[in-house]
Amino acid sequence: MRALEPWVEAPLQSFLAESSARLTLLMTTSGQVVAQHGFGRSLDVMTAAALGAGIVASTEELARLMGAPRFEALVHHGARQSCMLSAFVTPRGRWIGLVVFGQETSVGIVQLFFDQMVRQLADAAPREQAPTPKLAENFEHDLDASLRALFGR
Amino acid sequence: MTDEIRTLTQRLADEPSSLAFLELGETLRRRGQLDAACKVTRAGLTRYPGLADAHDLLGRILSDLGDLAGAFDAWADALRFDPMRTGALKGIAFLYFRAGDVAAALDHLQRAAEADPDDPAIPQAIARVRRDAGRAGLPAVEEPAGPDRHREAPAPATEAAVAEADVAESDVVQAIPAAPPAPAEADRAIPHDSPFAGIAEDERGLLLADASGQRLGGEVGRHGMESGDRVAAQLAGLSREAARATRLLGLGGWHSIAVETADAHLFLSAPTAETVLLAVREPSVPMARLGLLAERAGRAARHWLEQIR
Amino acid sequence: MTPAQASLDRVTRIPGVRGALIASAADGLVVAEQLMDGVDGRAAAALTGSLIARLGRTAEEAGVRPPVFVQLRGEEGSILAAPGSEGLVLVAVVGPEANLGLARLEMLDAAGRLG
Repeated sequence: MRALEPWVEAPLQSFLAESSARLTLLMTTSGQVVAQHGFGRSLDVMTAAALGAGIVASTEELARLMGAPRFEALVHHGARQSCMLSAFVTPRGRWIGLVVFGQETSVGIVQLFFDQMVRQLADAAPREQAPTPKLAENFEHDLDASLRALFGR
Repeated sequence: MTDEIRTLTQRLADEPSSLAFLELGETLRRRGQLDAACKVTRAGLTRYPGLADAHDLLGRILSDLGDLAGAFDAWADALRFDPMRTGALKGIAFLYFRAGDVAAALDHLQRAAEADPDDPAIPQAIARVRRDAGRAGLPAVEEPAGPDRHREAPAPATEAAVAEADVAESDVVQAIPAAPPAPAEADRAIPHDSPFAGIAEDERGLLLADASGQRLGGEVGRHGMESGDRVAAQLAGLSREAARATRLLGLGGWHSIAVETADAHLFLSAPTAETVLLAVREPSVPMARLGLLAERAGRAARHWLEQIR
Repeated sequence: MTPAQASLDRVTRIPGVRGALIASAADGLVVAEQLMDGVDGRAAAALTGSLIARLGRTAEEAGVRPPVFVQLRGEEGSILAAPGSEGLVLVAVVGPEANLGLARLEMLDAAGRLG
């Protein structure tokens, strides 16, 4: 498990221990990765983050067209693995969680402890001013630095 | 078919509502025709469900058949209708002794002694239970206060003295296993280093595992220790699962898990913070009773853990 | 009243029962519920489903068939579970004063009619 900001570690670690999730990705709605667990390659992280953010954006647009509130979570059930995408609010803005889990756990357990993690993140987030938006010229540098941090290199 | 059985059978056929079924059932039992005895007695109980004699007889028959749980229930029913029924008190005492609960065995024998102070088999049984418990290293049980009629009985109990008692009741007393185990039982005797030594005839159906899912002692399942290791591997996770569930649902710490299946009753508990105990018995054993066995096994396991540390 | 609600109603009438629900055992999700305040149905469904699954694996390793009734006893009450058909499980959260014998009988009866 790797996180860009230390205050994310404890809630995420607790979630992983309780849910038995195989892969977990926390990211902003623009696809910037905040923390990850279980991914082996940075390319996979980037791809999953982009796809996850895109799916959530599409789903929210769908809800808007239907005149419904935002969907709380989206679950794809697979034969051996399932995937949950859930957007949530943090003091640092809106984030997305992508969780992949197997038959050793259940969607009920994953959702239960995901919600617990969201509450813990809200409690743990430092009460300081949000960071200023990054300039585009620094973005690629920051992304590389983030990926190195997430993979411990 | 003997004349006696023929006569009793005819009497019952002529008058189905008579109590001849009691005598017929007992006669069949003494002749070893247990299935027939059971059938006759159960039929009689449908007409006389509140007759303590019939429940007592059924208890003896089931005990002879090896259905000890059924015998327990039958004797318990007998006591419900007649709390002073000495046959049932002695029968239950025998079962408790078989299960290793010396205190409960002596308690029931004491009650039997109070109900029938002239029965010589009872003080002999009490003396024998105390002697065998002492040999097995079980905790000594204090003699109860108050009138203690069995002190007048000849002691120590001998095989001859037991054989002189009433035939039906000596079946119970003689069935109390003597210690040490007979040679034929040696293969099943509990190892000295077992967590469950002293509380059961053998440790099958009892399993102790540590927090990492490794077996500490006992065995369950059809394939002995191999199954035991696999079951032990599950127990650690179960313990954490149970603790999590009770905590998050506001029920405090977990105490036990009672599981009923079509094939068996399972009872899980945690003798210490780092161990989990599983007790398994056939479904005929009431869950509450299995819980008591697990409690006893837990105490034995705690004592064993203290000894080896 | 649906059959599921009727089952829940019978169980919750038993003294000491704080709430009952029907859950999908595999998913740990609530199908129907009748709960008093303070009982977290989502948590009960998820946690009980997970416990039942693990007990099923334990029973299998022990060479016996899956559970038909479970009581998880805590310091301040118990969780009762009776798996039914079609992957549903009837769950009750009860206090320490509950009539467990009656609750068990009602739950076994109701679970037999689930699905």
